Amino acid sequence: MIRLSHLTKKFGACTAVDDLCVDVREGEVVGLLGPNGAGKTTTMRMITGFMPPSKGRVSIAGFDLYDHPIQAKRKIGYLPEQLPLYPDMTVCKYLAYVAALKDVPAARTKAAVALAMERTRTGEVADTRISTLSKGFRQRVGLAQAIVHEPPVLVLDEPTSSLDPQQRYEVRELITALKGRHTVILSTHILPEASDVADRVVIINRGKVMAVDTPANLAGRLRACESVRLEIGARAAASAVSPDAVRESLAALPGVLDVHAAIGAAGIITARIDSAAGVDLRAEAAALVTGRGWRLLGLSGDSLSLEEIFLALTRDEREGGA
Amino acid sequence: MRHALAIARREIESYFGSPIAYAVMTVFTFVSGLFFSNMLVHYVRQAALADAQIQKFGRSEFQLDVPTVVLAQFFQNEAFLLMLAVPLLTMGLVTDERRKGTIELLMTSPVRGVEIAGGKFLGAFAFLALMLLPVVPMFAFMGAGGNWEAGVIASGLLGLLLLGGAQIALGLFVSSLCENMLVSAIGTYGLIVTLQFIDTGGAAGGSIWTRLLGSLSFYARHLNSTRGVIAAADIVYFASWIALGLFLAQRSVDALRYKRS
Repeated sequence: MIRLSHLTKKFGACTAVDDLCVDVREGEVVGLLGPNGAGKTTTMRMITGFMPPSKGRVSIAGFDLYDHPIQAKRKIGYLPEQLPLYPDMTVCKYLAYVAALKDVPAARTKAAVALAMERTRTGEVADTRISTLSKGFRQRVGLAQAIVHEPPVLVLDEPTSSLDPQQRYEVRELITALKGRHTVILSTHILPEASDVADRVVIINRGKVMAVDTPANLAGRLRACESVRLEIGARAAASAVSPDAVRESLAALPGVLDVHAAIGAAGIITARIDSAAGVDLRAEAAALVTGRGWRLLGLSGDSLSLEEIFLALTRDEREGGA
Repeated sequence: MRHALAIARREIESYFGSPIAYAVMTVFTFVSGLFFSNMLVHYVRQAALADAQIQKFGRSEFQLDVPTVVLAQFFQNEAFLLMLAVPLLTMGLVTDERRKGTIELLMTSPVRGVEIAGGKFLGAFAFLALMLLPVVPMFAFMGAGGNWEAGVIASGLLGLLLLGGAQIALGLFVSSLCENMLVSAIGTYGLIVTLQFIDTGGAAGGSIWTRLLGSLSFYARHLNSTRGVIAAADIVYFASWIALGLFLAQRSVDALRYKRS
């Protein structure tokens, strides 16, 4: 549905996107993941025809974006990072304007606008000027303009950035609801977001593809070891507790590679247990701590953050190159 | 065509949603009225003086056709006011889309650069026509005096529309080059004021250059229409500027893709 071949963008001497090749199948949701400045927005802009690539080709639903730009663009709904809203227009009029630009037949415009508002739950603000809308509503209106012509392909650039957690959740729900109807490519720098909605994740850093895989595989592949984080109250415990005692007893668990423990200012001992990949020690650790009569205040399995994945990937790259 | 009309319509609506356009329209109407009434009073007095001289001495050194003189003067003044107003109307045409980020919507829609430029031009041009509308009732004062020079009024208004259209097309092009509205307005002032008065330096000479500059001047070309003459050459002249401005604007909008922004 979306085919990027050898996509390259150079700004002077700086290469923003370097030889990107990705195929997105029909109905698939692909997350483009990378830190700020990785080339996500530039990639999105090349896919939507806002920016021509220095090299390479983009094909949308079989139409080459450079040989048939008009046909290809009809197939795309695009939510740029900076929302393309006119503050002085009402939501309804704005969506009708976008529908006209996207070649929705005049007779169908009303129905198309109503449907887009229904799907993004913006009906209640239909006659409100966009300038008076909250950030969350604006984001939804942005989404509504992207889907108003029912494009087979949706390109969403950081759809949840600068939203509060509640709004983030709502927008994520909306995107999940769009699954199946559209082929989606979305960019984000938040890993859980990508793993929530995407079937496949493309990790890019400094314009280069670092990895392409399902979110689960990616996390599993990169996780060389698992770790468990514990918080233990040292005060008013049934039996005496010290970092040393904690370290000693936890190290005795089977499969443990390493244990760190230290006491914090509030009298809370924090401990981290590293174990071999695939060994989950959370239950054992909890049983051990409570069995000793210590007060277990917190326990969590550490998931790999995006930063760690990047560090891991860039480390591999450096070592591979050396 | 549908795209261009949608863009033009949005542009007009945005004019009416913006304080700048209202301010420009209000001041334009007020100053037009001021010029008009001042001139009318002035020339009517002159004519009365001439009449008195004729009665006393049987002749007068000035013969005055008040409606023709007032209208010619008035349309020349309006041309001057347009020069001041148009850059304020065109400064945001493309610049504001870039500032708001809505240019990304336009350029990723199945819309051609020529439709964007054409739509923007139509929108601004329609607003200019609306801005000239409140001026029309002023002519009723002359009608009340018995001399209703409909032909001169029609040619004067057409002349203003042609001149305004050329200014808008050039302003649109400048706007497509600028990321800042003030720079866009200043650039347009520079361009259209230069074209308005380009012939004034060589008025005395008769070389090919002065004639060339004279034929380029907005002022010289616009003068005919203020006297009730609409020549085909003048229409072609202003239409050529409009075409040139639109062509440059369209190329410039298409070239925005190559900017790093």
